[in-house]
Amino acid sequence: MTWNFLEIEAQIKAEAQAIGTAQDLETFRLKYLGKKGLVTAVFASLGQAAPADKAAIGKGANDLKKLVDSLMTERAGWINSVKKIDERVDISLPGTAPALGHAHLLTQTLQEITSIFERMGFVSAETPEIETEFNNFTGLNIPIDHPSRDAFDTFYLDTEDPSSRGRRLLLRSHTSPGQVRIMKAHRPPLAVIVPGRVYRPDAVDASHSFMFHQVEGLLVDEKVSFCELKGLLTEFCRRFFGPKVIMRFRPHFFPFTEPSAEVDINAEILGIQRKKWLEILGCGMVNPRVFEAAGYPKGQYKGLAFGMGVERMAMLKYGINDIRLFYENDARFLSQF
Amino acid sequence: MKLPINWLKDYIDPKLSMEGLIDRLTMAGLEVETVEGAGKDTVLELEITPNRPDLLSILGLAREVGAITGKAVKFPKIKSQKLKRLKGLIQVENKKDCRRYIGTLIKNVKIAGASEGMKDRLAAAGTNAINNAVDITNFVLMEMGQPLHAFDYDKLAGGKIVVRRARPGESLVTLDGVERKLDPSILIIADVEKPVAIAGIMGGRETEITPATQNILLESAHFDMGLIRRACRSLGLRSESSYRFERNVDFDGVLAAANRATDLLLSSTGGHLAGREEISIKVAATAPRIKVRPGEIKALLGIEVTAPKVRTWLARLGFKAEFKAGMLTVTPPANRTDITQEVDVIEEIARMTGFDRLPSKMPVIKSANIVLDRRPRELKEKIRQAMAAAGVDEIITLSMISIKALAKTKIGQMPLIKVFNPLSQDQELMRPVLLPSFLQVALTNINRGQKDLRFFEIGKTYAPDGERDSLGILLTGRRRQDWRVSPKETVDIYDLKGVVEHVLHIGGVKAGYADINVPAFDPACGASIVIDGKPQGVLGRVDRDVLNNWDIKHQDIYFAALYLEPILSCPKGLVRYGPISEFPAIVRDVSLAVEKSIPYQKIEDICRKQGGEILKSVQFIEQYLGDKIQPGDKGLVFSCCYQSNTRTLREDEVTDVHERLVQALVSELRARRR
Repeated sequence: MTWNFLEIEAQIKAEAQAIGTAQDLETFRLKYLGKKGLVTAVFASLGQAAPADKAAIGKGANDLKKLVDSLMTERAGWINSVKKIDERVDISLPGTAPALGHAHLLTQTLQEITSIFERMGFVSAETPEIETEFNNFTGLNIPIDHPSRDAFDTFYLDTEDPSSRGRRLLLRSHTSPGQVRIMKAHRPPLAVIVPGRVYRPDAVDASHSFMFHQVEGLLVDEKVSFCELKGLLTEFCRRFFGPKVIMRFRPHFFPFTEPSAEVDINAEILGIQRKKWLEILGCGMVNPRVFEAAGYPKGQYKGLAFGMGVERMAMLKYGINDIRLFYENDARFLSQF
Repeated sequence: MKLPINWLKDYIDPKLSMEGLIDRLTMAGLEVETVEGAGKDTVLELEITPNRPDLLSILGLAREVGAITGKAVKFPKIKSQKLKRLKGLIQVENKKDCRRYIGTLIKNVKIAGASEGMKDRLAAAGTNAINNAVDITNFVLMEMGQPLHAFDYDKLAGGKIVVRRARPGESLVTLDGVERKLDPSILIIADVEKPVAIAGIMGGRETEITPATQNILLESAHFDMGLIRRACRSLGLRSESSYRFERNVDFDGVLAAANRATDLLLSSTGGHLAGREEISIKVAATAPRIKVRPGEIKALLGIEVTAPKVRTWLARLGFKAEFKAGMLTVTPPANRTDITQEVDVIEEIARMTGFDRLPSKMPVIKSANIVLDRRPRELKEKIRQAMAAAGVDEIITLSMISIKALAKTKIGQMPLIKVFNPLSQDQELMRPVLLPSFLQVALTNINRGQKDLRFFEIGKTYAPDGERDSLGILLTGRRRQDWRVSPKETVDIYDLKGVVEHVLHIGGVKAGYADINVPAFDPACGASIVIDGKPQGVLGRVDRDVLNNWDIKHQDIYFAALYLEPILSCPKGLVRYGPISEFPAIVRDVSLAVEKSIPYQKIEDICRKQGGEILKSVQFIEQYLGDKIQPGDKGLVFSCCYQSNTRTLREDEVTDVHERLVQALVSELRARRR
């Protein structure tokens, strides 16, 4: 008996291609390797073959068996992988853990600011929003006739100041009265920040609100110089805006510090093109008259102080163009941060 | 303050590029806000800080540029005039209101258009040219910073000026054609009959200079800064003049400007000088002498500034400085009223050195003397974290609300703090409670299609006895957004109670609940939160009428408010480890029917009393309110877990205890087993 091995091989390969299920695979096995299978028959024919043909038939039979085996392994693997694809979960469907809530962006920014100073060794203290004229103005060397004391620039309350007859209590217009309170209650060395809400009767628009947040900073010791003011705030800005921030200290005026400065940073670091510099905070060396008002002995202490608007810092850092977004509390705004 | 560069160059050439000049000005504290072209000129808009009224003029700025660059300033030459002293021309009622008034009478003038040069200068400074006389007053105002006014002398009734407060009912039509109502808080310039100008702010139309004017009375004066500021505010009117008077003008400059303007007027109008009358307070000629310790310069700035440097800087600024026995004594020029103490002089030295040239180093930070209770802040932080984990977003709302908002929320009879000078009714009140703020935020979101809301705020509420940290929580809409379960379930009172319990747990506070009697809440679905026997908060479903008042339709709102003080101040003891039992637990379920009015808490209390030490916990499983139970009753299912820390409990001893426990429920509460 002679076998056309080439033809059988082609037939096996073609049929193997069509195997799609485990059942197909079994049919295929039986057809070639089963008791009545073709490859089995080739092996069986060896017995009757002429001695001269035996070697060729034996090799051909072995090759066919190897081919069938390898094709079966290949198709079995394929069938398995198809099955797995069928059963695979769609991992792109949304996960269902309880949704997380979000801290308000102002809280996050405030925490970012306070934690930078706290890690440097500052203590964070909150002081009241309802203040006296003394703490908000007089104790900060703001003269009696200063424009900021007008009812146009400060909210007064319908309540008399119990410590000063005929004077009304007011809503603090900055966090600086925190300085006065801290100094009255504690002796240096001091390193304190005072975060909180402040109020000014400004008409509301994209960049003004009659309520906003500030962080006040105060460091008092026997030896503190302007260099250290620069060093401290430079370190703060590097941590808050990134190590590449460029700063400048520009002379300015505040009644409670002397010398006073405003700090600008390069707008480029925040991707802002329309301006070169952005003002971010006010600062200076504590005016000796503020120490005097706090009852500290004359000439014994020096201090540095600074104040920044939390809304402004958040608006610059996160690209927010309207301050009203903070107080409107649209859920789509809150959940972005 | 506008600075036209060509005008500046009339007095000083800074020999700097435009960029260089802008940088030097800014870094000397004169921030350049904008740079604009105006014809052939370039105009810088400078921010002048309120302590430097001496910089509100081109000459003042030229002096400062001179100090910054070291270049010399060319001051305009003023021809000296022979002056005839006049009498009875000027009368000042109160020299506190007006410390100096110089009236100069110039006769037979010819009023004409302005010269082109003058027009360009004024246009660059932002003022329109009008006629030669008015333009000169404006020019000198800009040049020297002293506001001036020219009256048509023949229109002054009685030929006389009276500086006085306005009388009730008086009014004046100002140069801009508006009739201004005046009152005694406003200082005016009058003739013998009527007001002719609002002092320091704006002249009157009737006495203005016209082409027909023949005789001019030129005013140069010093008015009280506070008076002018308040008048501007109450009239809603500002001008280049008031801008300078509000910040105080130089007393000596009043005379210098009068002389400069007189000189220019005589040559421009061809008039002749008829004479002058001056009314003035007596000023003692005591220039301040400020002692500056060189050691203090180093202590404050952190670097040594050499004596020659100090000398140079101060000389350039026009300060007199003497070094004697290691001590520096400084006398600032009269127009530098901002320099009164040692640090002010040191600040000038720092400014001239350049803040950017001062080195920078980290301070030693010590705060040993302040020991603050960290607990309030830490607890607030933990509450925020728990809220985030509970899926509640933080909001920040305005502390002021309207009385109307309070009424809409059915909140009455509370001690209130009112704002004395609110900008609008929306800010007339410091909020006594948080609920109106939350309803406003809910409304805003619902109107924008966001109806599933979970909000909290840690904010203050205000009462005459002070401000209190408060926590508000609002839940409304669907419970959870899980695509595998029905999306229709909405939140209820137990969702809210769960969040409140998180907060109480964080503070280690045990709270009870009592009936609520607050009209803002549905009485059937709410409670007050009681801590240490005192009501410290509320939780419940917001009353339907309140929601209708707020225009919130189609959904319930659950709200809780809690004063944080009792939680923040509660000393939470250190939690000690309790051993975890190694022995098996036996759990027995109980199903009972009881009257609806019996709170579950009572059942749990009885269980605990009866269960003794082997009852480890009682776990609530289910409440049934359907029709398979007798009307007026409710079904309750809960399980009791028995376990010992020291041994394996015997089945029969658990059965004994459990049976006694259920029996107690049956007899004490008339409960029936189901």
